[in-house]
Amino acid sequence: MLEGRDLSIAFGGVRAVAGVNLRVERGELAGLIGPNGAGKTTLLRLLTGVLAPDSGSVRFEGRDVTQMPIHRRAQLGFVLTHQIVRPFRDMTVLDNVMVAAATQVTLRPWRALVSVDTRPARLRAQALLARLGIADAADKPARSVPLGYLKRMQVARALALEPRLLMLDEPLAGLNYTEAARFADLIAQLNAEGITIVLVEHNLGEVTRIARRLLVLHNGAVLAEGVPRDVMARHDVRDAYLGADQDAVAHA
Amino acid sequence: MYYVELLLVGLVWGCTYAMMALGLTLVYGLLRILHVAQATVFTLGAYVGLLVANHTGSLAAAFVAAGLAAGALGPLIYRLVYQPILDKPPFVALVASIGVLIAMEDGFRLVFGPYGLSFAKNTWFTTSLRFGGLSLNLVQIWIAIAAVVLLLLFALFATRTRAGVAWRATVSDPAIAESFGVSVSGVRHLSFFIASVLAGVAGVLVGLLNNLVEPGMGSVISYKGLAIIVLGGLGNVPGTLLASVLLGVVESFGTVYLDKVMDRDAIAFMFLIVVLMIRPQGLLGKAH
Amino acid sequence: MDYYLSVATFAALNVILALGLNLISGFCGQVSLGHAAFYGLGAYGAALCSVAGLPMGLSVAVGMMVAGAFGILTGFAALRVREDFLAIVTMGVGFLFLGAVRKQAWLGAEMGIAKIPSPLDKWGYAMLAIGGAVALLLLSLHVRRSWMGRAFGAVAQDEDAARSIGIDVSGYKIAAFFIGTAAAGLAGGIYAHMTQLIVPDAFNFVQSVTILAMVVVGGIGSTLGVVAGAVLLTLMPEMFRFINDYKLLVYGGLLLAVMRFSPEGLAGLVHRWTGRRLA
Repeated sequence: MLEGRDLSIAFGGVRAVAGVNLRVERGELAGLIGPNGAGKTTLLRLLTGVLAPDSGSVRFEGRDVTQMPIHRRAQLGFVLTHQIVRPFRDMTVLDNVMVAAATQVTLRPWRALVSVDTRPARLRAQALLARLGIADAADKPARSVPLGYLKRMQVARALALEPRLLMLDEPLAGLNYTEAARFADLIAQLNAEGITIVLVEHNLGEVTRIARRLLVLHNGAVLAEGVPRDVMARHDVRDAYLGADQDAVAHA
Repeated sequence: MYYVELLLVGLVWGCTYAMMALGLTLVYGLLRILHVAQATVFTLGAYVGLLVANHTGSLAAAFVAAGLAAGALGPLIYRLVYQPILDKPPFVALVASIGVLIAMEDGFRLVFGPYGLSFAKNTWFTTSLRFGGLSLNLVQIWIAIAAVVLLLLFALFATRTRAGVAWRATVSDPAIAESFGVSVSGVRHLSFFIASVLAGVAGVLVGLLNNLVEPGMGSVISYKGLAIIVLGGLGNVPGTLLASVLLGVVESFGTVYLDKVMDRDAIAFMFLIVVLMIRPQGLLGKAH
Repeated sequence: MDYYLSVATFAALNVILALGLNLISGFCGQVSLGHAAFYGLGAYGAALCSVAGLPMGLSVAVGMMVAGAFGILTGFAALRVREDFLAIVTMGVGFLFLGAVRKQAWLGAEMGIAKIPSPLDKWGYAMLAIGGAVALLLLSLHVRRSWMGRAFGAVAQDEDAARSIGIDVSGYKIAAFFIGTAAAGLAGGIYAHMTQLIVPDAFNFVQSVTILAMVVVGGIGSTLGVVAGAVLLTLMPEMFRFINDYKLLVYGGLLLAVMRFSPEGLAGLVHRWTGRRLA
């Protein structure tokens, strides 16, 4: 479904991502992990088009999308959520989701100009809010609702685009233990309903619980790949994490 | 020889711009404010300098008085205008700043009259020095000297003094600097003070250069100052200095070669737009 | 009577200018400090056509298209640079327009264009300008309700988030610049025919700031607030003679006071006092 070939990018001479190849199959829930500074977020940005790679290509459903702008990818069903939740702060929670639910209408500015019917988008947005359990906050301004709600709102906004591939950048960050577990269950459930999901996550406990395949990134390259239990048992993976931790201790 | 003279004239303008733009970039680096109202400080410096010079006959006294008056006005603008609206969206401070600029321009007109004033005795203006085939008047030479000396003083301040180190720490991370006991408010006042002294001195020098001090003299140079700090990569000091000099030279040659097509201000802004379309982050700014 | 008609006409022209800028800056969030340039482009475009013998309606339409075309170009610039960078670039567009027009012999240079044919009487211009202002008012209210307005809101609040939900940010920015600058072109075309004489300085930076002042005093983003701001700032110098002598002092002071005490302008005050948001 998604294929990255030989992706590389360097910042000021430092190779942040070096020749990464990866494939994501339809229907899977893959976890992308790695110690701090391994290049996870950079790789995600390359795949989603926030950054253009120095070399290599990205294919989505057999189509080369390397040069395609982000909003066009989103329209194709290749959707990402941001690590830090980015609501439209002056809109209500409902409006936030409605804008995403109307991409077919807002596709062309001139068509959007002559469209005033908000009912279909409102109904879909309301259904999504209910589904994610945040319908009670629908009419509150996004600036005033707590982080747990915003995280769910962000997922609702992504789902409103009817994604076929969802890339989640650290969706569990900032949530407490129970919230994280519930959120991870939700992600697993979405996957069970047919959405392919790539999860970049620091919370190893939850990733290894819900992901069926792990990719470990280290120093900008794929270090290991496979079933979570096998991958986590590998010495080089442990060393990568522990080494990073020791560095972190030395720096502190 | 003609080209060398054009280059020199351009460099002198570049020095003037640098004195104006350094302050703008300091303020931007610290507060993300496009401080257009610095034009007011520049013009006040020029008027105070002119009045003192014509009263006492001493240019030294004129510069000191201009520096002090400007140095007082800048921090005052910060206190009264910017400080209460720091948490608002960026356009708020910019519009407020434009408000101060155009109101004060009218204010200067009401107090000092619309036609501008000249120096009673301006020997720098009337004395020219010749080097080979080149001729520069003393004001131009003093502008170059003043710019180099003031910028060197600033560099010494920023790298060698405790206050300078505290200032740089605050620019890069206000929260951490504060936790090390740096007074963020003090640093802001100091930055406005430094920026304003530079602008005030530049005001007197430009007044001497044209032998004319008028209400609107600060506005165009201030708009160009903004163009320069954007060109240099907003908040980037070396970029600002490079852009100042480049803009001075581009204008100097442009007014000769593009005279039929556009005026001096248009040349400056066209240069800005062309550079930004190629490098949106400015000459030395970092891409993000 | 003639005096009141001409004040009404100028108030209506200012409403058109301010609502156009509000579409760009208020709705779509793209700061512009060079709106007077598009007013000027419309005026010069229309004046040239009219002097060449085209009927007024067609001339004004050409002026609008000229302004709108340059607006699209500026919109492309807004794709490369954002926020503070964009503010300075649009300020630069204003200076570039002025500095270029001043040097063009075929545009009359500093002397501008004189003897522009004027087919309507005072009533005609007043009706035309007021009609234009009402049309733009209705358009603005409609845009706010339409999906275009919602997409503008998303672009204004967070471009990156807007992209990630499939909104064509570039397309919307260019659309906003086109509509807003073509409106300024309309005002320019009417102005040129009415006064029969245009000079470059009528479209300088102070004029851009004056339009911005109307938007900001009224309340950036609020259509009704901006209309009130434009009318108020046109009438004030007329009602109080002394204000006319210190126009810039008053405008500047007003900009400062509004930013300092009520950055959301008149619309913000209405909201604070009545709890209702103006459209």
